[in-house]
Amino acid sequence: MTKKWILGLAFAGLVAAGPALAQKKSLVIGMGSADAGKLDPHLASTTPDKGLLNYVFNGLVRIKPGEASPNFIEPDLAESWTQNANGSEWIFKIRAGVQCHHGFGPFTAEDAAYSLKRAATKATSSYSGDFSAVDKIDVVDPSTLKITLKTPVAGFLGYVANINGGNMVCRKAAEEAGDNFGKRPIGTGPFMFAEYQPQQFVKLVANKQYFRGAPQLDDITFRYIPADSSRDLAFQSGELDMIYGKQDQTWVDRTAKLPGVKVKAMEPGELSALYLNVTAKPLDDIRVRQAIAHAIDRKAIVQFKGEGSSREAVSVVPSGYLGTDQKSALYAYDIAKARQLLTQAGYPNGVTVKTIHTTLTGMQTLIEAVQAQLKKAGITLDIELVEHATFHANIRKDLSPIVHYQAARFPVADVYLTQFYDSNSIVGKPTAVTNFTHCDVADADIRGARTETDAARQLALWKAAQEKLVKNVCGIPIYEQLQLWAWKDTLDLGYELNGSLNLSPPITEKTRFTK
Amino acid sequence: MTAFLVRRCGFALVTLFAVLTLVFVLVRIVPGDPAQLILGDQASRETIEALRQRLGLDKSLFEQYSVFIAGALRGDWGTSLVTGRPVIGEVLNVLPWTIELTLLSLAIGIVIGVPLGVAAAVRRNRFVDYAARIASLLGLSFPPFVSALLLLLGFAIALRWFPVISGKNATFYEWYQSITLPALNLGLITAAYITRVTRSAMLEVLQEDYVRTARAKGVPWRAVIWRHGLRNALIPVITIVGLYLGILIGNSVLTEIVFSRPGLGKLIVGALNQRDYTMLQGMMVIYTLVVVIVNLLTDLAYGIADPRVKLR
Repeated sequence: MTKKWILGLAFAGLVAAGPALAQKKSLVIGMGSADAGKLDPHLASTTPDKGLLNYVFNGLVRIKPGEASPNFIEPDLAESWTQNANGSEWIFKIRAGVQCHHGFGPFTAEDAAYSLKRAATKATSSYSGDFSAVDKIDVVDPSTLKITLKTPVAGFLGYVANINGGNMVCRKAAEEAGDNFGKRPIGTGPFMFAEYQPQQFVKLVANKQYFRGAPQLDDITFRYIPADSSRDLAFQSGELDMIYGKQDQTWVDRTAKLPGVKVKAMEPGELSALYLNVTAKPLDDIRVRQAIAHAIDRKAIVQFKGEGSSREAVSVVPSGYLGTDQKSALYAYDIAKARQLLTQAGYPNGVTVKTIHTTLTGMQTLIEAVQAQLKKAGITLDIELVEHATFHANIRKDLSPIVHYQAARFPVADVYLTQFYDSNSIVGKPTAVTNFTHCDVADADIRGARTETDAARQLALWKAAQEKLVKNVCGIPIYEQLQLWAWKDTLDLGYELNGSLNLSPPITEKTRFTK
Repeated sequence: MTAFLVRRCGFALVTLFAVLTLVFVLVRIVPGDPAQLILGDQASRETIEALRQRLGLDKSLFEQYSVFIAGALRGDWGTSLVTGRPVIGEVLNVLPWTIELTLLSLAIGIVIGVPLGVAAAVRRNRFVDYAARIASLLGLSFPPFVSALLLLLGFAIALRWFPVISGKNATFYEWYQSITLPALNLGLITAAYITRVTRSAMLEVLQEDYVRTARAKGVPWRAVIWRHGLRNALIPVITIVGLYLGILIGNSVLTEIVFSRPGLGKLIVGALNQRDYTMLQGMMVIYTLVVVIVNLLTDLAYGIADPRVKLR
């Protein structure tokens, strides 16, 4: 009897151990680029690099995995924080016992201060501009960091979150490596950098000492596969577990049909908008700009782009950002009105406007659809197609009266408004970012909101700015493109994926294969 | 012979210098700012200017050129503007992959193309000839990326004999698994060219008087074809092989991308998209060198194939 029992138990054990032994522990991700760029979190500016580094680094705070809105900010390397009444002084309590990768020692307030200063320095960071309001960064004691701002900053916690300049590097590692930090990035995240093979992959291994617990996966191979079709085929053949999708609806429809596959259109939506140069003829006449706005049918565009992967734009700021006017009074689709406005402006026989445009497929199909819509109202859109880098250079030289741009930013209205509509950001100025419109009508509201400490008044100012920009037709928002990803349904991410500011699904200590 | 080599090397140096200068100017004429592309579209112009200074892009064109030539003479090709890694290192990392693919596809092309071309010429207007001509026409008409996808769909997805990602070479088996489809893809296209050139060269040679004489003397047909026929038909074939080697390296870019293989082609496309000036300059030197060396080897091969060719 006892013997039988033991045998039975042993058998049960074997059965249980079988699948456990066979469980997959290596994750292979297929990314749509030819190679790694800069693997230094303060210099990385491309989607592939940011996505990868997200697995390696932490911020002082983080946006809850799976979410893409600052409403979900939670503690990361800082356990807690306080701010003074007007938001100009922030004190962060740094978590004890966090270890830097590869034996670079404990992470303390010293590292945090070093990292923020590094991110605020032009020579070592692409994001130095984000920290222009920072006055002083002081280490009060090894577990306390104090940041003093020259002026309060809207959504300041976003700048110390686990994205861009907010990623925390370890001081000793960064100082030793100098300019070479990107060859071996050292952080505190759930996965550690292990190997880089040019044009092939970056391999990350589990950080067993991760402060939230050892990761369930052993390693991640982040593969660079630029051809959409090859990525799809490798996913189909089982060589890849998760892929960056081709960003269009036909891909979604096709991939969703594969067995055992999850497809997700996640946040943030990249806002696709036309920016009209209000100083260039004939766009300097508001009636011509209004005619263009009236001639664009946003609903038809979304049908064309696919309802599952895109949605109509709601304002000049993407929907869901802190401060977005979700119901801004965008111009309604009305061809007759558009023609009437053109006639009033002195163009009864129609008008021709020019745009310099990139050959990136997703963007090109949109501008061609817009061209067809405008034609119905007698507006001829003259599209000059150029390769992507040339596009970026030429639109910054004011060569394109209409600029079609597609972008997502940190989801606080201030960032979008500042970069695209503050007159300081007008292309050509020393402080230029991406204001192609030459509009300055909302300057007072944008700048007022930036330093406003009363939340309600801040929202009101952002709303006022958007109303002015829409009314003056500085920008014509069209639609928002969501981020498309697919993975095997045996992969349990460990959280509900709605979005990710790094545009790649986070892989956390809880991510695992169920089989 | 020695005089020939010395003169050719002299020419090669002049060519190299001319190409370098041309590339240096051309990449800078094309619109697009490396600093902007490196920093991304959220960077302010001040940040971009700071990076331009650090990369030395704010200096005058002439100053940049002298720095570049001085470095090149010392064998220093600089570091990639984008990744900060040395250009030479980046190129050497992927060069073996490209060389391996090129040579193997060329070998496949010769092994299939030469016998097929000879067979088609000998049995002119018979079944073999028609089959070879149709097959080679197909090979020539397929763009490499289409044939690559077809190979993947057939052998990697339907049959599962090979992986889709052809980037492993740790063991011989992995290497074989990774190289077969890409090499076949380029090899078959190369074979198509070689078949057609061999066929037409052979047809011409087979009508020569010395072939008729050899046959009349009673030399076995087989010996006539291979010794008297092919030997004399080889010159145009060698020319095509030499020319094609240069083209093959260029063509490999699409094959590299579809089969997810590392290689020079991918490196140069990436460098172009990013306006990585230093990288592009370094790559052009490599390409020019390869073409110059291949041309030299082709000339030497003429002499071996036909001793009447004197290298002066």
